[in-house]
Amino acid sequence: MNSTPTDAAAPAYNRSRQAREAETLLDRIEDDFPDNPQAMRYFYDLFRNVYCHGEPVRHQGTLVGTTCIHAPEELIYAFGATPVRLCNGSYHYDQIGADFMPAKSCPLVKATLGSLHAKAAVPNTQSLELIVNPTTCDQKTKASAMMEAMGYKVHDLELPPAKESEEARLYWQRSVRSFALRLRELTGRKLTRNNLKAAMARTARAQAAFRTLHQLRKSAPALFLGKDAFLVTNAYFFDDIDRWTEAVEQLNAELRSRQTEGFQAAQKRAPRILFTGSPPIFPNLKLPLLIEEAGGVVVADETCSANRMLYDMTAVDEWLLNDMVDGLADRYLKPCTCPIFTRNDDRQRRLLQLAADFNVDGVVYQAFAGCQVYEMEYRSIADVLAAQGIPMLYVETDYSPDDMGQLSTRIEAFLESLKTRKRNKQ
Amino acid sequence: MKRIRDAINGVDLRRFRFWLQLFFFVLLVYGGYLAVNLGQYLPTFSCGFNDAGRGGICYLLPLQHQLAMSWRTLFGWAGLMVVQGFLFFALWFFVLNKGWCGYVCPLGTIQDWITSLRTRLGIRYSRYTEGQFRRLTLIKYLLLALMILIPLGIGGALLPHDMGTPFCDICPGRMIIPMFTGDFSQLTIDFSTKTTTVMTALGLLVTGLFLGGAFFKKRFFCFFCPMSALHYLLSKPALLRLKKDGAKCTRCGDCYRVCDMEIREIADEVKDPRIMQDDCIMCLKCVATCPEPGALKATFAGITLFESTEQGFIKRMNQGHNDEQHPH
Ligand code: SF4
Ligand code: SF4
Ligand code: SF4
Ligand code: SF4
Ligand code: SF4
Repeated sequence: MNSTPTDAAAPAYNRSRQAREAETLLDRIEDDFPDNPQAMRYFYDLFRNVYCHGEPVRHQGTLVGTTCIHAPEELIYAFGATPVRLCNGSYHYDQIGADFMPAKSCPLVKATLGSLHAKAAVPNTQSLELIVNPTTCDQKTKASAMMEAMGYKVHDLELPPAKESEEARLYWQRSVRSFALRLRELTGRKLTRNNLKAAMARTARAQAAFRTLHQLRKSAPALFLGKDAFLVTNAYFFDDIDRWTEAVEQLNAELRSRQTEGFQAAQKRAPRILFTGSPPIFPNLKLPLLIEEAGGVVVADETCSANRMLYDMTAVDEWLLNDMVDGLADRYLKPCTCPIFTRNDDRQRRLLQLAADFNVDGVVYQAFAGCQVYEMEYRSIADVLAAQGIPMLYVETDYSPDDMGQLSTRIEAFLESLKTRKRNKQ
Repeated sequence: MKRIRDAINGVDLRRFRFWLQLFFFVLLVYGGYLAVNLGQYLPTFSCGFNDAGRGGICYLLPLQHQLAMSWRTLFGWAGLMVVQGFLFFALWFFVLNKGWCGYVCPLGTIQDWITSLRTRLGIRYSRYTEGQFRRLTLIKYLLLALMILIPLGIGGALLPHDMGTPFCDICPGRMIIPMFTGDFSQLTIDFSTKTTTVMTALGLLVTGLFLGGAFFKKRFFCFFCPMSALHYLLSKPALLRLKKDGAKCTRCGDCYRVCDMEIREIADEVKDPRIMQDDCIMCLKCVATCPEPGALKATFAGITLFESTEQGFIKRMNQGHNDEQHPH
């Protein structure tokens, strides 16, 4: 049938292969850099446990998988269930998933399908009772039927393809309401003002912790590195939300004391990079890692595995169920800068503002080969950045390690040019 | 200084507004008992029919009276009086801009009280659809035009005299505000002539609509208010301003979703820094609900009074996660 052995055929071998992929990366993240914050220990251990030792994902109640940031997690928590983000970054599963999608498809979608298809997949989400699949890009949309064919229950969360109009907003609010109904069916529980409020408070606290971390990265020279920041936000995919928040709060406290001590995690002259485009998802932290191994520092990002997932916060006017649910719906639609929507200007403006706020020297734009929406937005982003005199490196890549050598040469050259620019400016 | 600014930006706007609105309500509705008299050119519905308690008079009352003078007088010496009245009105208005609506107007305050009654009962609000909104928002200009043209018509003997002060006849302020000082005499239909019968019956109807409407729709009446239309015509040079820095805006729509007046531009417009729209009541809820530092702000004579901050947002949207403090 195909050349890739499936997990069904040889579970032990594959688990170890997948584990090795994670292990190598964690080793690089930990050992290649001096001065990792103490508080990162929690995250390093978490990833080792889940990815290398195959520990099951912790959850209370029903486990609900999500395939994109558009699924409102607060609703899932409110029904006493636990969300887990299924977007996968493993090359190993990317190869398995290649069976389902056409050759030139997005590795993220393939890897997600691959991990769902695999038997002893990591993260270990054996008890998945529902998958929420927001109808975002074509590839994710079409993945619904494939996941169903694998035996999963799938809820298509209908997302409008444009987000500007009032019609789109109302359509989406209705969509979110019917998702709540589906969850009620699934869990047999009721959505109440109190359980939703409690759920929203958990997420809001996590978001507040994330925002603090995000703001701390404005510090120049940098207080810590982007590879760690990505690891932190990647942990949000599957970690217990309260434990995650506490760990981030601890990290924040440590970074703050670093700040008062005048600690530098990167050289003063290290080019400050804003990372955008297709999301780096563990273990595919290839690109951010290469940047920082080459002496740059990722100080901010605009990706849906980090900033876009956690930054925007929900506003409620009247704490009644209807306004809370609509508020959640708005939060998951309106500020989103995902390229699947018709217009590019929100993303353009967001990038410009991040570049200014974080005193960025250059932008690195990652586009997964096969992720058409990011490929298509490339020009318009390049144009606005160029107009502001912000250099950008566009990198088309996938999950395979084959292009590492070539990428690192390009990145080094880019960072060099940024350094020269910086010097000339002074 | 920074600490004071942080405290202001972190204010619980809901509570602050409640007390300030209450203060102005007492001042304008009961101030008369304490000999408060702010004159008769107030840019807010401090109803003149509340004889005993009023702390000043709503400008629309003298305006209609003045315009109903015979044309000879109006276009003669009395014209100066009209101009002078208008100037006083404008001066008052320039200080607070539409802040008169968000913080001072007794009718506005009453609507907000009805809204909190509703939320306390756990009943949800209703909203207009976008199309309804675009059409309804024009009514206030129509009312403003009629409010000026009808008295002029009376002055020119084109219309019967008993139309008197046509807007006051149908204004819910006339029936509702005197009730707060125990005067229920306005709550009737005046059968003296055909016109007064029709107008006062209409007034009763509007009052009913006002009370019912405000229960389901936040600031129901303000959408139709001719005072608001008159305000908007003068709002450009006012001292209190609502400003937006579009570059900092993520278009998250948070401001729009809490806006009682359903003003979409507040979220969507990112080019024009002067963001105040004609329906705006300058309640500043949008500023309080914007999570992006400096995206929205209220300034007075160029000085920033209150601006959106991340910390302020988190505090106000609260629900128990304030143990973390920001470094900045
Ligand atoms: S790129 Fe857009 S559609 Fe894809 S996972 Fe991210 S947010 Fe979802
Ligand atoms: S009836 Fe209305 S318009 Fe007339 S004075 Fe009273 S509040 Fe003003
Ligand atoms: S718009 Fe509302 S608050 Fe403003 S004057 Fe009219 S009734 Fe009062
Ligand atoms: S709340 Fe602030 S960031 Fe959001 S749309 Fe309004 S002005 Fe923009
Ligand atoms: S735009 Fe802002 S100040 Fe104006 S009415 Fe809406 S929330 Fe209030």
